[in-house]
Amino acid sequence: MNDAVWVLTLAAAVSAGTPLVFAAVGEILAERSGVLNLGVEGMMLLGAVTAFLAANASGSVIVGLVAGTLAGGGLALVHAFLSVTMRANQIVSGLALVIFGTGLATFLGSPIEGDPLKPGVTNFRIPGLADIPAIGKILFDQDPLVYVSWVVVALAAFYLTRTRTGLALRACGESPETADAMGLSVARLRYVHVVIGGLLAGAGGAYQILARVPSWSGAGTTAGIGWIALALVVFAAWRPWRALLGAYLFGAALAANFALQAAGVNVIPAEFLSMLPYLLTILVLVVLSASSARRRLGAPAALGVPYAREER
Amino acid sequence: MPDMPPAVEARSVSKAFPGVIANAGVDLSVARGEVHAILGENGAGKSTLASILAGLYRPDEGEVRVNGEPANFGSPRDALARGVGMVYQHFRLVERFSVAENVLLGDPRQPILLSTRRAEKTVTELGERYGLPVDPRARIGDLSVGEQQRVEIVKMLYRGADVLILDEPTAVLTPQESENLFETVNAMTAEGKSVIFISHKLSEVLAVSHHVTVMRDAHVVARAETASSNRRSLARAMVGRDVDLSVQRAGEAPGEPLLELEALNAAGEGDTVPLRDVSLTVRAGEVVGVAGVSGNGQRSLAEVAAGMRTPSSGRVVVRGVETTGKGPRAARRAGLAYVPEDRLGTGLAPSLSISENLLLTHPRPFFLKRKEMDSTAREAIEQFEIRAPGPDAATRGLSGGNAQKALLARELSDGPEVIIVASPTRGLDVGATQAVREILDKRRRAGCAILLISEDLDEVRSLSDRILVLYEGRIVHETSGEDANVEDLGLAMAGSETGGN
Amino acid sequence: MRIHLERRLEARRGHRALVTVLSVVAALLLGAVFLVLTGRSPIAVYTEMFRAAFLSFFGITDSLAVAIPLILTGLAAAVAFRMQLYNIGAEGQLYVGAIFASWAALALTPGMPNPVAIIIVFVFGALGGGLWILAPAIARAWLGTSEIITTLLLNFVALYLMRYLIYGSASFWRDPTSTNFPQGKPIPEEAFLPVITSTRVHLGLAVALLAAVLLWVLFSRTRFGYDVRVVGDSPGAARYAGISVPRTVIIIMLISGALAGLAGAGEVAGIAHTLDPNGLAVNFGYTGIIVAALARSNPFGVVAVAILLGGLQNAGTALQSIPGGGGVPVEVSYMLQGAILLCALAGELFIRYRLRVRRGLPDELVEDDNRSAVAEGTKP
Repeated sequence: MNDAVWVLTLAAAVSAGTPLVFAAVGEILAERSGVLNLGVEGMMLLGAVTAFLAANASGSVIVGLVAGTLAGGGLALVHAFLSVTMRANQIVSGLALVIFGTGLATFLGSPIEGDPLKPGVTNFRIPGLADIPAIGKILFDQDPLVYVSWVVVALAAFYLTRTRTGLALRACGESPETADAMGLSVARLRYVHVVIGGLLAGAGGAYQILARVPSWSGAGTTAGIGWIALALVVFAAWRPWRALLGAYLFGAALAANFALQAAGVNVIPAEFLSMLPYLLTILVLVVLSASSARRRLGAPAALGVPYAREER
Repeated sequence: MPDMPPAVEARSVSKAFPGVIANAGVDLSVARGEVHAILGENGAGKSTLASILAGLYRPDEGEVRVNGEPANFGSPRDALARGVGMVYQHFRLVERFSVAENVLLGDPRQPILLSTRRAEKTVTELGERYGLPVDPRARIGDLSVGEQQRVEIVKMLYRGADVLILDEPTAVLTPQESENLFETVNAMTAEGKSVIFISHKLSEVLAVSHHVTVMRDAHVVARAETASSNRRSLARAMVGRDVDLSVQRAGEAPGEPLLELEALNAAGEGDTVPLRDVSLTVRAGEVVGVAGVSGNGQRSLAEVAAGMRTPSSGRVVVRGVETTGKGPRAARRAGLAYVPEDRLGTGLAPSLSISENLLLTHPRPFFLKRKEMDSTAREAIEQFEIRAPGPDAATRGLSGGNAQKALLARELSDGPEVIIVASPTRGLDVGATQAVREILDKRRRAGCAILLISEDLDEVRSLSDRILVLYEGRIVHETSGEDANVEDLGLAMAGSETGGN
Repeated sequence: MRIHLERRLEARRGHRALVTVLSVVAALLLGAVFLVLTGRSPIAVYTEMFRAAFLSFFGITDSLAVAIPLILTGLAAAVAFRMQLYNIGAEGQLYVGAIFASWAALALTPGMPNPVAIIIVFVFGALGGGLWILAPAIARAWLGTSEIITTLLLNFVALYLMRYLIYGSASFWRDPTSTNFPQGKPIPEEAFLPVITSTRVHLGLAVALLAAVLLWVLFSRTRFGYDVRVVGDSPGAARYAGISVPRTVIIIMLISGALAGLAGAGEVAGIAHTLDPNGLAVNFGYTGIIVAALARSNPFGVVAVAILLGGLQNAGTALQSIPGGGGVPVEVSYMLQGAILLCALAGELFIRYRLRVRRGLPDELVEDDNRSAVAEGTKP
């Protein structure tokens, strides 16, 4: 049981990255359909507080997870309504969602601040695989939700590239007028995927509180990982598998902080390590704007643009 | 098949948009296996009718029937399911997708798991059968406009369209590519499919269709069998009066050179085509027309000449002053005016008012003088007969002709001697077209040098003293206006040099 | 029979104000639902909030004090909106403005006359804010990199930077005498902003109001404002007219960043008198975006909305400490702010469309431009 520090740190990186995986994959689906939802942080927080309340009330982690997921989806529905039906400015609507979601979550959570979570999540060692040196500990001795997140990534990637609906959803994000002319309902596709994005963000928030942090501590519960998830989408060039890798990379930056602090090593100030994901993403974004990369890896062409069938 | 119901039918269809009646009690009947042309000017309501048939809009009144059965289309999907497909003027293709992916998009018959390979095979087969060669794996963004149009048609055939609506399909094609399109159309009708061919070009309609329906001001004004119809009467029905777009050319010999472009090379920026070794001179009192299929360097040429873009080599000289790459303001100071093709969005800022737009290319004081701007605008509105609510009206609300007049009012206001105009009458009705051409002709007589860049070959031929053909950024053909021959110009526009001149 | 939406040809001024008022009402109703669900009396809470924010002298002045940074960050967002740019980074620009301003106060102003010191502090605040937006501005102007995400992410970099300076290191900004609970070094009194006697309303209010007036003049009366509107409306027309788009983008973004930086300077020199990371990180930047959106980018509207939201925020803070507040957390004011904006966005419908009930076939929504709530504010 004497695992090296780096193995434990990487295992922690996987766990720290998992809420990001859920949230980023959800945002990828929404953005691929053409809707930018900056409200991830708000949806995650609301998901987290709902998951906590439901888990403690029912004594079941699964009930908590489901409730948190639904709460995220519910908030996303507001964004879908504003950005698709009302064609409101998606940036402003997303930010309003953060502020509203954060306010609502902290308001709902204020009576339970600091309370312990009654049911817990236990790790599940995948037989065989968990015995592989180092890798086994890092990847296959995690809680079940980590494995679920892999399934989510695999499904999302397959869905986007190989299925009829995936093609339709990408067309909505690239050229909604084409999707419309080909008989697809742009509004329905966008609604569905914004809400799926919210469900996954809610799941990410739920994971954060059910498996990562022991208790509700207001806005500090997610500590800005919703914003990191947004960055991650760009970092991953809107592709789910890359988002998984990026999430673990960003997770490593988060986990390394704890490891270094615990070890009393002061190579890099913790604050600088925390800045890293943001700075990396900005760099990636600037590189992606080079015209050669933009065509292949850039944002969906119609991202952030409300669609209305043109008349006359 | 005497008792076959029409393939598609519109019965007293009406459609209004806020402020405009687009279709008023329109009847149309298209038989199986025929090419049915809808002829009309821009704004006559052709595209609206087509969009109703294709399920994009719902009619306010009236009904659409397919094979005799009422068809209440709620969306393009419903129309496609009944075999009615449309190729829009602005293609509905996803640039980042491959041809095969575009063909598959939105097809309800596909299984949930896509098989691109099977689609690729079908695309190739359809292409061979109808003379529409396309590489099913190519990305749309890498294809030429003509190829993209083929993809659109293949897409509709793949979806099983029995009625294909083509909205102004030849606008983006060379005369030769248009011929190929006509062959495809014939191959389709030979199989019993119907084609609705929308156009404002009489010659094409006469060449390709069996029946023709003429629209004007939202109404159907004439119906005829093409073979027995009279060209002149169709034209009159279309415009509502006798057409006189007679040829106008300079009477006197042109004077000194006012605009000289010497050996210009320029990289393509964004989606524009690079310029290759372009030299031309425009003299006082002369109109030089530049013809070509759209997307062959016209914008690069105009922008380099107007100083908006710096060429990689070569010189631009306006009235003896070199303005190469010194910016649009320097070119204007030297006496140049530029009327771009894109009126709202380049020539005019759409949400700014008329009075503000009249200031766009002129020197502005640090503090704006609102009163002066207002009176200038009132004068311009009167002089150029711009129909607008007032000087404070946003230009986005102006019709194409009035926007063009506002644009000309500004560009001609400080007496430029060199004028570059790009597709000046595109989308304008006959009245506005005549007005614009008269304005240009008057300037020529006053001794201006005019460079007319247009994709409309008829326009170039009717106004120009000399004609150049631009192909892939190169001038490949030159002829005098009088000697111009459509076939030679067409071949040059398609890139096969004949050594005219 | 169905409800039919018809696009209004012109938005009416009266409608806009009405919609804003109605969205506040709707948001309060929405908030009431949650208050009732958590066993509180919404009437009692709202009465208390209103009293705390606007019914006493100190309530009003405290609300105004909170409004000062909100006016400046609201203007920062509004300036960018005018050109269809989204500076989501006012939060970070405010922090860096505060870092610069506090450095200038600590290092440069001791011994200086108060007016000079104040000018220096504000200049450095503006410089800091401008510096923090420089990279996104350049990337946007020359590479076309979306400024939305870059400015947003830099907020977190700035936050960690500020925390590092106070909590993570023995920096110049940190008070060396505070070892257990690290704090910023107090700035010298020479750099304090004058306040209205015994209140928290400081000179920053005058700066903010002056900024609003200057921006209004700039946008509606000058050549530069004209250029900005052309670029914002259509970059193609700007290029055609010889207006440099990159240059205009950079200038506007620098102005935007500088305004947010001024807010940071005001907080340091007018309120905290030190670099206080916790006191600064209260979402002034994000709230500023809401302010600008609600005010439709109109500078004077920004002032009005900032005072309203400042009152709301102040009331939220007051509720916590007032016995009658019933243990309502300060976050209730954030929730209400978010709800107001969400309702206002929904209310947009009534500005852009006429609601009509009629019989007949369903019709498509008629809309021709994709211009959004914020963008519509660009019209003068």
